[in-house]
Amino acid sequence: MSEEEITYETEMTADDVGATEHVPETVTQKSLTADCLRLIQRPGWLWWVVFLFDLAILAVAMVAERNQIVQGIGVAGHTRPVMWASYVTNFVFWVGIAHCGTLVSAILFLFRSHFRRAVYRVAEAMTVFGVMTAGLFPIIHLGRPWFAYWLFPYPHQRQLWPNFRSPLEWDVFAVSTYLTVSTIFFLVGIIPDAAAQRDHGANRFYRLIGHIFSFGWTGANHQWKHFYGAYLYFAAFATPLVLSVHSVVSWDFAMAQVPGWHSTIFAPYFVAGAIFSGVALVINLLIPIRSVFKLEHIVTVDHIEKLSKLVLLTSTIVTYSYLVEIFSAWYGPSSNERDMFVWRFFGHFWWAGWTMATCNSFIPLLLWSKKVRRNLPLLFVICLFVNVGMWFERFVIIVSSLARPFDPAPWGVNYKMSWTEGAILAGSFAWFFMFFLIFIRVLPAFSLAEIKETLRAPMRRKA
Amino acid sequence: MIQKLVDRLLAPAPQKHAGVMGIFEYVDDAAAAVRALRQVGHKDLSVYSPVPHHDLEHALEQGPSLVRWVTFGGATLGLTGGFSLCIYSVISYPLVVGGKELISLPPFVVIGYESMILLGALANLMGMLALARLPQVKSKAPYDPRFSLDKIGIWVPCTGDDAARVEKMLRGQGAEEVKVHA
Repeated sequence: MSEEEITYETEMTADDVGATEHVPETVTQKSLTADCLRLIQRPGWLWWVVFLFDLAILAVAMVAERNQIVQGIGVAGHTRPVMWASYVTNFVFWVGIAHCGTLVSAILFLFRSHFRRAVYRVAEAMTVFGVMTAGLFPIIHLGRPWFAYWLFPYPHQRQLWPNFRSPLEWDVFAVSTYLTVSTIFFLVGIIPDAAAQRDHGANRFYRLIGHIFSFGWTGANHQWKHFYGAYLYFAAFATPLVLSVHSVVSWDFAMAQVPGWHSTIFAPYFVAGAIFSGVALVINLLIPIRSVFKLEHIVTVDHIEKLSKLVLLTSTIVTYSYLVEIFSAWYGPSSNERDMFVWRFFGHFWWAGWTMATCNSFIPLLLWSKKVRRNLPLLFVICLFVNVGMWFERFVIIVSSLARPFDPAPWGVNYKMSWTEGAILAGSFAWFFMFFLIFIRVLPAFSLAEIKETLRAPMRRKA
Repeated sequence: MIQKLVDRLLAPAPQKHAGVMGIFEYVDDAAAAVRALRQVGHKDLSVYSPVPHHDLEHALEQGPSLVRWVTFGGATLGLTGGFSLCIYSVISYPLVVGGKELISLPPFVVIGYESMILLGALANLMGMLALARLPQVKSKAPYDPRFSLDKIGIWVPCTGDDAARVEKMLRGQGAEEVKVHA
């Protein structure tokens, strides 16, 4: 039967209108499968250049980590009173990056936001690789990483257990649960698409990978029924999980009576900040992918614009939180708290404070303009600034508060990042991008099954 | 040897089952065929599609998935397990700090909550895989690669005269291809 004979559904519900508004009419189930599987093939020279550069940075970071293990944690720049410095900053930054994926894949799924379908796989992959990167930092920061298993509760002859009242132990539970649940959610979502890769992949290697990740999926009615039955619950679990994980991370700070940390606003403030930086990185990843692989008709400017509105929304929440913090310090009874906020913007680390405010509060104001939101090169640059700003936000919170404790004796001792920490920070990006670069070449980076659902179903309507 | 193994994995499964497979282009044709087949008593048919369609779900009269009960069980176990672990740990090695209660429930809420989500999600996964009969190395039912692309397949287990009748019905309902495995 030829393509011309297909007539499309005419009686459309409100849902259908929402579902199809961003997908061009020219996209068919066949063309969509071909376009998405086009990414999964033998990589070209550009991919290899980027990948080898990435591995080179990772190798430098591994040398730095090896030095730290051999010579001791002293090679890192942190010293009393700043004992949490770049490693904890990186941990919070990467956990934050990881939050966007679950927002896009789970929360927007529950809200039936159809635009998520074109972008959620990339966001989910970013989540999984982001948590894998974040999880390294507490272990690197231990100095003696071979004792990392002490963090987990396990039966022990002497009945020694971790302290379940400590926010650091809550973090172990929150982050490891987040890694497990987001990985399951990611891999389950891939199952129907991996089946398409198994059946229509470019060569035997890619078909074999599709075979493994499809779990033998056939698309039978009973499989779809249980798949979507379970998917709803994954989304329902992931939604409160994503809110709880960064709340727990924020309590690492808020539970301590350190000026600048001990605040009830920390949990929502951190969650909004996490989504802010995460969505910005998704935009930074999607813009080059859609342009390099010629997928402008699948990830449209409308999709990117909707994501940029999320960046704008969360930027306003983050800015509001900054103002509330400053207001609470000014209005509240603690002079230490007041001094802290003056010091953050006019003390030793003034440059970090102003970088944070400029990148997170002022530059995103440009996104109020529709023209800016739809200008992808400019949007890309704004999102880069957002990520720089969000790294500095964590740096400001952690380092400036620790460098200015109640006791004034160590006030003159300020933290300076060592080359080991710098190399490990660069290496964390290399580690993240290594997984991402491999992922886009071996598994479908766009959800075939879900985007197909947004296409109008072929109907004969023979009366 | 690895090459042979890969070849065996990727080769289509040998046809063991008897029945008729109809391949459809249009969703409404497939839904009408399902209704017609169910009316004449073929209740155990399977429908393959690249995406789920509400028309087909209604025609098949599918109820909600049972996976939610497995998930509920896992989540309950996680919640009680998380709290139990914390309470057991403080009782088995009592360390009284500042004269405070050993069993301090508010901080244990975080552990109980995260454990609930962890075990609930794992049970959800196990339940889904078990109910959907996954993973399987080879599809046990007949399968066509077009079902992951853009076609809908209806598999009706039947033999002999029944197969001829089903074949006729499927063609009458608009199947663009019908394969008889009798």
